[in-house]
Amino acid sequence: MQDYVYLMLSAALVNNVILARFLGLCSFMGVTTRVDTAVGMGLATTFVITVSSMLNWAVEAYLLKPYDLLYLRTVTFILVIAAAVQFTEMTVRKISPSLFQMLGIYLPLITTNCAVLGVALLLVEGRMGFLESVLFALASSLGYSLVMVLFAGLRERLAVADVPPLFAGPPIGFIVASLLALAFMGFSGIGAH
Amino acid sequence: MPDFPEQSLTESGAALVEGIARVVAVEGAVAWLEPEQGPSCAGCASVGCGSKGLGTLASRLAARRFPLTDCPDLRVGDRVVVGVRGDALLKAALTAYVLPLVAMLAAAILAQSLAGHDGVTLAASVAGLLLGLGIARRWASRLTARGVIAPRFLRRAGLGSSCRLTESGW
Repeated sequence: MQDYVYLMLSAALVNNVILARFLGLCSFMGVTTRVDTAVGMGLATTFVITVSSMLNWAVEAYLLKPYDLLYLRTVTFILVIAAAVQFTEMTVRKISPSLFQMLGIYLPLITTNCAVLGVALLLVEGRMGFLESVLFALASSLGYSLVMVLFAGLRERLAVADVPPLFAGPPIGFIVASLLALAFMGFSGIGAH
Repeated sequence: MPDFPEQSLTESGAALVEGIARVVAVEGAVAWLEPEQGPSCAGCASVGCGSKGLGTLASRLAARRFPLTDCPDLRVGDRVVVGVRGDALLKAALTAYVLPLVAMLAAAILAQSLAGHDGVTLAASVAGLLLGLGIARRWASRLTARGVIAPRFLRRAGLGSSCRLTESGW
């Protein structure tokens, strides 16, 4: 149990997908203008990353490795991720059209999010079992969501702050993101043994 | 100074988040609205966007059409401001995404502790995910019936209104 906790803490905070591995930066800068949209995007990405990682683990374990097809890993994973996003979209639309009207706009943005492919590749390289892979993917995506919400809150505050014209817009955004990455470096060392 | 997204309040004081939609069809007392394309929509519609192959922007906006019944004398082409409860997005996201994930994770942990085999855990995860989706469907029906996530008509949109949230463009 303790190993699982360290695994999740490491994935979510120490090796954060956005601030340590620099994945998913498009959505990080593009969908964090408001906290509520960041929450929606973060939870949608959490679902897609977890489900697609589960599927990718199965494809790696039962198809690619036994039949010596590891050279197809990247292409196959991208295909699985696209299918997972389509599945999510169809499922949400089926569960509730009202929910789809509210949440459907985020789903196309997730297909090309490199964080999804990055997490899948990281967990197969880590040679983890199935439950460890699912927990790793879940924790990574929760860390992603956490950073999205934090940054959205900071941007909302920056919107009413007195920023010098030279730094207004993307420059101050990147500076704030860098400071956030520095702050997350304080987590390094947790779980190391 | 950039503008915050406008917010108004319901009768009970809950914050509403506003958005702009266009009337695309009127069927008796029901008007069908389509959200207006915003800056992020324009980004997705760009040539370089990888999600273009999964569906055009027009089809995605069409899929997000919603009906309004409490609207006076709307005609096709009218632009209106609609409001959604501020906590609606969070409740919708928790229902659609978190519930199935929790069910999936619970099934996976239970199967791993009982069987200790990856294949069994995988099958249990899939079963848990499907069960979670079923529960989410029922919960979503309750939310819809209570009107928690339904948009409501607020007013007609002015000529200069847009769904741009800030002036900085980032």
